[in-house]
Amino acid sequence: MLKRFASIALALTVTTSLFAQDSADLERRLRELEQKIAQMQAAQPNADLAEVRRQIEALGQEIESLKTRQTETVATTDTTTYGMGAAASKVYRADEGISFGGYGEFLYQNLEDRTDTADALRAILYTGYKFNDRVIFNSEIEYEHANTERSGQVEVEFAYLDYLITPAANVRAGLLLMPVGITNEQHEPTAFFAARRSQLDSRIIPTTWNELGVGVFGEVGRFSYRGYMTTALTSSGITAAGIRGSRQRGSQAKADDLAFVGRVDFHPFEGTIIGASAYTGNSGQENTFGGRVTLAEVHADARFRGFEVRALAARGSIDDAAAINAANHLTGAASVGESFGGWYVEGGYDVAPLVTARELSVIPFVRYESFDTQREVPTGFLRNRANDQNILTFGVAFKPIPQTVIKIDWQNVDNEANTGLNQWNIALGYIF
Amino acid sequence: MTRVALAALVIVSATTAGARVFMTQQQALAGAFPAGTKVVRQTFFLSPQQSAAAKKESGVEFRDRMIVRYAGSDAAGTAIGYAYFDTHMVRTLPETVMVVVGSDGRVQKVDILSFDEPPDYMPKQRWIDQLRGRKLDDDLSLKRAIRPITGASLSGRAIVNASRKILALHRLLPAQ
Repeated sequence: MLKRFASIALALTVTTSLFAQDSADLERRLRELEQKIAQMQAAQPNADLAEVRRQIEALGQEIESLKTRQTETVATTDTTTYGMGAAASKVYRADEGISFGGYGEFLYQNLEDRTDTADALRAILYTGYKFNDRVIFNSEIEYEHANTERSGQVEVEFAYLDYLITPAANVRAGLLLMPVGITNEQHEPTAFFAARRSQLDSRIIPTTWNELGVGVFGEVGRFSYRGYMTTALTSSGITAAGIRGSRQRGSQAKADDLAFVGRVDFHPFEGTIIGASAYTGNSGQENTFGGRVTLAEVHADARFRGFEVRALAARGSIDDAAAINAANHLTGAASVGESFGGWYVEGGYDVAPLVTARELSVIPFVRYESFDTQREVPTGFLRNRANDQNILTFGVAFKPIPQTVIKIDWQNVDNEANTGLNQWNIALGYIF
Repeated sequence: MTRVALAALVIVSATTAGARVFMTQQQALAGAFPAGTKVVRQTFFLSPQQSAAAKKESGVEFRDRMIVRYAGSDAAGTAIGYAYFDTHMVRTLPETVMVVVGSDGRVQKVDILSFDEPPDYMPKQRWIDQLRGRKLDDDLSLKRAIRPITGASLSGRAIVNASRKILALHRLLPAQ
């Protein structure tokens, strides 16, 4: 096409020259023709290119629309809901739908003077469903130790319905995680450093602690809170080792006695929480004694520039301990503790950013915990000094990506009876 | 083949049914620039070298080859900012964000257009505000100057990574 235009122009030039009146006129006309050819050369490819560009632009807009999901329904927005900002609150008016998630842990324990063990400790599936803008269901189904024909078990850890009213006050009912401590509500393996959860989170705060109940929750400024009325612990399960065995876990729970549990957290700035919680309720159930169990704790969790520090202190008491001992046929040093408690502090620093910009994490950490399930026992009973424990744990948590973690640590287990046995652990964890 | 098509249809339907889109691109763009700003849509196709350079500079893996941005300029034609949109996975579900980069190469604004994960994982505005004024450097990281979201670290990571990726791409692309 271009060549044809050039030929025509050249012929025109030659022909024109034959009839030129003078050379100046010829040069002028030649210049004009050269300019026209240049314009045609410039214009001709543009005709094709423009069409190609138009098509690319159209395809680009289609692709962009698909990528940014502009083809999907846009939820309407008006006011803020549930403590989130203008943008964040809009999700509560989104379409209904189902959601899945989960986590799991595998644990190898090399135990001093005991048989080493390897265990598919947990495999968890979260499922949730949003019925409408106000009503949301959430649940966690847990498979422990892989096989129910051996020591494994299947458990619904939580399953509740939320009724969302305002940011400051919403209602929750069902099988609830007790809002006590740090780990009970956030117990995914990537949330704590060590291969095993702190023992305080087992002996003093009986993680994972779940009860049937109903309550309110919400956020007010930089504060968040939860307050529930739940089924209470049952005294028949309390031992010298603590209240762990007294959880009813939503399984045909006795409800003669009810309990109250509440929690307040303050978020002074992003990445930091300072809070406290308390539980109180009788545990006697069908017995004549009250057996009130009260547990209170304070906690802090701060993360900044690769540092993570957590600390918790808890103290509990059990009324009518002697009567519980009698009912449970506990004598001597097997007595339940009239008071129990402990504390832990743990810290880690992610050293990976010092050597790579990749998102992997290498976190050397240390945790020290001290607790006693029998700080005091009723008159006429004895303390078992083996329940007064101090555990030092240190090791490394390696996260190739934030959703997976490999942990290696060593635990120095010390108790007042000098019968503590050390161990080292390897754990593999994932969340999705 | 039919089975594959049916499966694809089911997946697309399921994805659409569960979608939590709460701001259109146009709504986001309306808030990205001051009133009266001239906004021009620009499309760029990355060369393999540009893609590799952006990945290296940002430390973020991505597969995008076509980059669209919305360049805003004032009445005098002076650039005042560039809006980019990015869709990525948070945990197992996607979110779409708009990152507005100022003419100084720093983050001016971040908006979440859609978020499919459970609402508890959604970053609050006060967390997002930490990104304002950030440039592409080591501090733009949850391990440095950006405080993580307690209990929702993957949500924070997703937005930080998107910001790093967009700032790296922005450096590579020509000014308007």
